[in-house]
Amino acid sequence: MDEMRHSTERVAEARPTATTNQETEASGQGQLRARKKPRISDMPPAPPPAPRLAEYEPIIGTFQLDELRFLAKPLVGKRAKMVNSTALGGGVAEMLNRLVPLLDELGVKTNWEVITGGNDFFDVTKAFHNALHGADITLTQQARDVFLSTTEQNRQRIKFEEEFIVIHDPQPAGLITSREGSAARWVWRCHIDLSHPNPDVWNFLRPMVESYDAAVFSSPAFAHSLGIPQALFYPCIDPLSEKNKDLDESYVQQVCDNFGIDRSRPIVTQISRFDRLKDPVGVIRASKMARKYVDCQLVLAGGGAADDPEGAVVLKEVHEAAGDDPDIIILDLPPWSALEINALQRASTIVLQKSLKEGFGLTVTEALWKGKPTIASAVGGIPTQVIDRQTGVLVNSVEGCAYQIRYLLTHPEFGAQLGRNGREHVKENFLMTTNARRWLLLFRILTGLIT
Amino acid sequence: MMTQESIPAAPQARTPFEFKSAAHLLFIERQRACNIDELGEGLRSCSEESIFQHTFRTLEEHHFIKEGFSNDFAQWAYIELREVGLGERLASLDVREFTSLVTLRSRIIGIVEEFASANPKARARSAVAPFYFCSSRTIVLPMHRTASNLDEFIDCLRMVSPHSLHYHFIEARLRRKLESNDFSIWLDRDLGLKREASLLNEIDIYTSTLEGVRRKIIQILENSPQHRRH
Repeated sequence: MDEMRHSTERVAEARPTATTNQETEASGQGQLRARKKPRISDMPPAPPPAPRLAEYEPIIGTFQLDELRFLAKPLVGKRAKMVNSTALGGGVAEMLNRLVPLLDELGVKTNWEVITGGNDFFDVTKAFHNALHGADITLTQQARDVFLSTTEQNRQRIKFEEEFIVIHDPQPAGLITSREGSAARWVWRCHIDLSHPNPDVWNFLRPMVESYDAAVFSSPAFAHSLGIPQALFYPCIDPLSEKNKDLDESYVQQVCDNFGIDRSRPIVTQISRFDRLKDPVGVIRASKMARKYVDCQLVLAGGGAADDPEGAVVLKEVHEAAGDDPDIIILDLPPWSALEINALQRASTIVLQKSLKEGFGLTVTEALWKGKPTIASAVGGIPTQVIDRQTGVLVNSVEGCAYQIRYLLTHPEFGAQLGRNGREHVKENFLMTTNARRWLLLFRILTGLIT
Repeated sequence: MMTQESIPAAPQARTPFEFKSAAHLLFIERQRACNIDELGEGLRSCSEESIFQHTFRTLEEHHFIKEGFSNDFAQWAYIELREVGLGERLASLDVREFTSLVTLRSRIIGIVEEFASANPKARARSAVAPFYFCSSRTIVLPMHRTASNLDEFIDCLRMVSPHSLHYHFIEARLRRKLESNDFSIWLDRDLGLKREASLLNEIDIYTSTLEGVRRKIIQILENSPQHRRH
């Protein structure tokens, strides 16, 4: 084993954001025979076409696919509209990219509309977003006016002729004023945590929200007492996306080779952006504690350092905590590294998510889907996914994390059982097809088509 | 040795078995509990759909777990409330003993109240995270798959989803108000397989996954004299 392969310094050199493939080939020769620089484009690739319904059959089974079709049958010919604030980037757009074609194929013709607005509008909605998470802001009359006038412009522009209108998040929430005189069912899909909203902003938005027929939340803990029915839709992953689809073993090996990861030794991985709330330094401490007893490499892979000043500071702290430890491999990846992240998760012996605070934690869902024994903090939506000692292991401290790394590395049969259960849990509850099923159910319930 | 031609035809059922499935949507209710007393209050005021969700339905959501998961109330008592004694008692509930949600609710409330009386110091102890009451709305799906004899029935059983298995084998007793299930009732009434019907009711759903339950049902039926394809 070339001990230099695990050098943190040289892995940092291999950061894809700084190099093109051409540069890689030219500069890599003679420096590291065994480890090429990772082949990640410096430009985001075009998104692959959305999968067809039939492509999910090998994953969920014929009968479950039939269930989806039967569920959709009374809705065939009806139309739905999804409205959000961005077509690219972010979890909502990613989800809509897959959900819209699925509903379409199931017979519910679904349009996706994106609201437009100036910088002033998006500054206001960004402040709203933070305020709904509890930030202390003062809601000025000017902010209200900007929000309402941009909403009105979008209301004039967008036609609402469908039977189901789904408005995602607070930015377009005011479009509910378009429902007057329409028989459509309106649903507000809230993807954020509304449990402790800033009262000023919430009191401004609440009458709009309560004019919908129903609201949808990602967790009961994120919901707020409202006078309308509140459905629970867990976030989901697409098993056919680049981040989750099956990969050739040779590709997984190639990615590990490129990043200098030794697959003959245990690999413990945390995938998350460089953010203190993900506790990357705590992860390093836990791995160092565990390595007094067991051999393993730690891979910390994520992004956020290139375009976020705080991310860069955290990345620096992570490098300092790692020191010159050759078994800590730190990878700052660009946002379009889905295939590489998929490969890293698949190569891992154990996946960690030792967050201090978390939304739902889709990186946990991804790890469970890949059948990986997962150790995660009991915060946010993680306990919904990680049922302690059934689908993974929950921890509350660095020490607890260190112990569980030791335990799972020395009890692989237990880890394998957790992995099997974790995958089943995701298959049953957190896949894109389950999400489509929930939308069909909600549409049927809202229109009284329940038999 | 019997040739394929000499095997007598499988007895035909008087009425075919029609496989269905059920789809459920979760709704968040207004009740939440942070301690034992609040759990008791929530249990008394929540809807029957909520009792269904946290007992029958949650078993389906976690059908892949072989042991250690019984219902959401027990899970919350173990993990969030750290009251092992209460957790054990709640986990001992077997939903198959209940043909009505009214009696199931009373039994759960009884367990919680008994524990609270015997452990007064535990009553107001705060849980790590609240219990959020949810409820389930159900839509029954006709799957257009029928079985007219035992072999066809076994073939369908191999294919149906866990949702369909749960609907016929576990949820059925609430619908039928009988301590039995759709499969056993059909096997007995329409194929005369009384013994097999009874054996199916003895399968322990709490020490098996639903896939395990499926395998056991098929195993019992394959040992039946009416099974032709060995």
